[in-house]
Amino acid sequence: MEQPKERHWRRWIVLALMIIGPILILGVGGIFKPAPIPISVAPEKILEEPIVPNFLGTGPLYLTNTLTTLIVTLILLIILAYSTSRSLKRSQNTDLVPRGVGNAMEAILEMIYNLTEGSAGQKWVRAIFPWFATILVYVLFANLLRLIPGFETIGVIHHVEEGAAGSALQPIAGHWYWVTAEPGEGLLVGFFRGLSVDMNFTLALALISVVMTQIIGVRAQGGGYWSKYFNTRRMFKVPFFGAMDFLVGLLEIISELSKILSFTFRLFGNMFAGVVLVAIVVSLLGFITIVPAMLMLFELFVGLIQAFVFGMLTMVFMAQATQGHGEEHAEAH
Amino acid sequence: MEGNILDAMRYVGAGLAMIGAAGAGVGIGLSVQGALTGMARNPDTYGNLLTNMILGIAFSEAIAIYCLVIAFLMLFKVV
Repeated sequence: MEQPKERHWRRWIVLALMIIGPILILGVGGIFKPAPIPISVAPEKILEEPIVPNFLGTGPLYLTNTLTTLIVTLILLIILAYSTSRSLKRSQNTDLVPRGVGNAMEAILEMIYNLTEGSAGQKWVRAIFPWFATILVYVLFANLLRLIPGFETIGVIHHVEEGAAGSALQPIAGHWYWVTAEPGEGLLVGFFRGLSVDMNFTLALALISVVMTQIIGVRAQGGGYWSKYFNTRRMFKVPFFGAMDFLVGLLEIISELSKILSFTFRLFGNMFAGVVLVAIVVSLLGFITIVPAMLMLFELFVGLIQAFVFGMLTMVFMAQATQGHGEEHAEAH
Repeated sequence: MEGNILDAMRYVGAGLAMIGAAGAGVGIGLSVQGALTGMARNPDTYGNLLTNMILGIAFSEAIAIYCLVIAFLMLFKVV
């Protein structure tokens, strides 16, 4: 009975959107015909000139559209963190019942915490949990933000390069144009682009994850952690098998390096495959607009799973690094 | 019949690269089969099995994603 009456209008808005959407795209002969999305592996440059000519001695820094997305994502995350802490503090002062944002974040983080505790054990859960939670929330935001309508489709028009496919422009008012489905010489560069559709972002996260795994391993086992890679433990007792152990240890280094590669390509490949899939389906079945829309729904699912998998794998590798299998093996004999 | 033989070979190479996805498909199928059998025998382990299943799927899916990335690199002329 405490539910106030005036909150009911929100449901009607959702229902109206559900009706208006199909009418706009299907019913009236296509007011918004989907235009082909330009695909590029590298992030596009919004401004042709670099904003910083020589960034920390590494070369020119361009204003790419993943850079703007990164800034927006970080601002949103800071707002989320601030409102969560404020919401939890308010509930602490009143009746200890978390509500709103605090409640939602508490539910998610509690699940992550329990998962980490089950995998890593009571001792190391406090060291590993922040990495899991941060990566999950960050990648989740990065993956889901690009599903907002207009995220990749509002931007500046560049002239298309020779030989590449562009689209024709249709003026609306002033300097604003529609990008139409007909071929032309305009190339749309969105102000924003999915953050995980940039290999730099996924590579950075993969490096953080793998390097922190080594650091947590050293914290847990001390210098003995490195004997996983340079295994000289049995070298002098049993020369032949000791040498073999050493070679196997060297292979561990390669497997560690391939973790970076697999982290990078898993996230990037999944999200980029989504972009390409939507683009191809638009060019084939663009007139049945419900099909790309359904694919965007699938993207929601993929983004959720990939964020979870990235965090989960980081957590599992860190938990493995805290448990040295070599020592247990020696004690058993 | 005209065009660049290099472009043609790019498409052929992209198609060949995606053969690797077959193995990932088999792998995902096997891991889901194992998890479902386990869940059917012992429904209490549902949550635990689901997490590990998704983890295993992610590992085998990564192989298909490598193929996909190689195919994209060929199609979009990155290398």
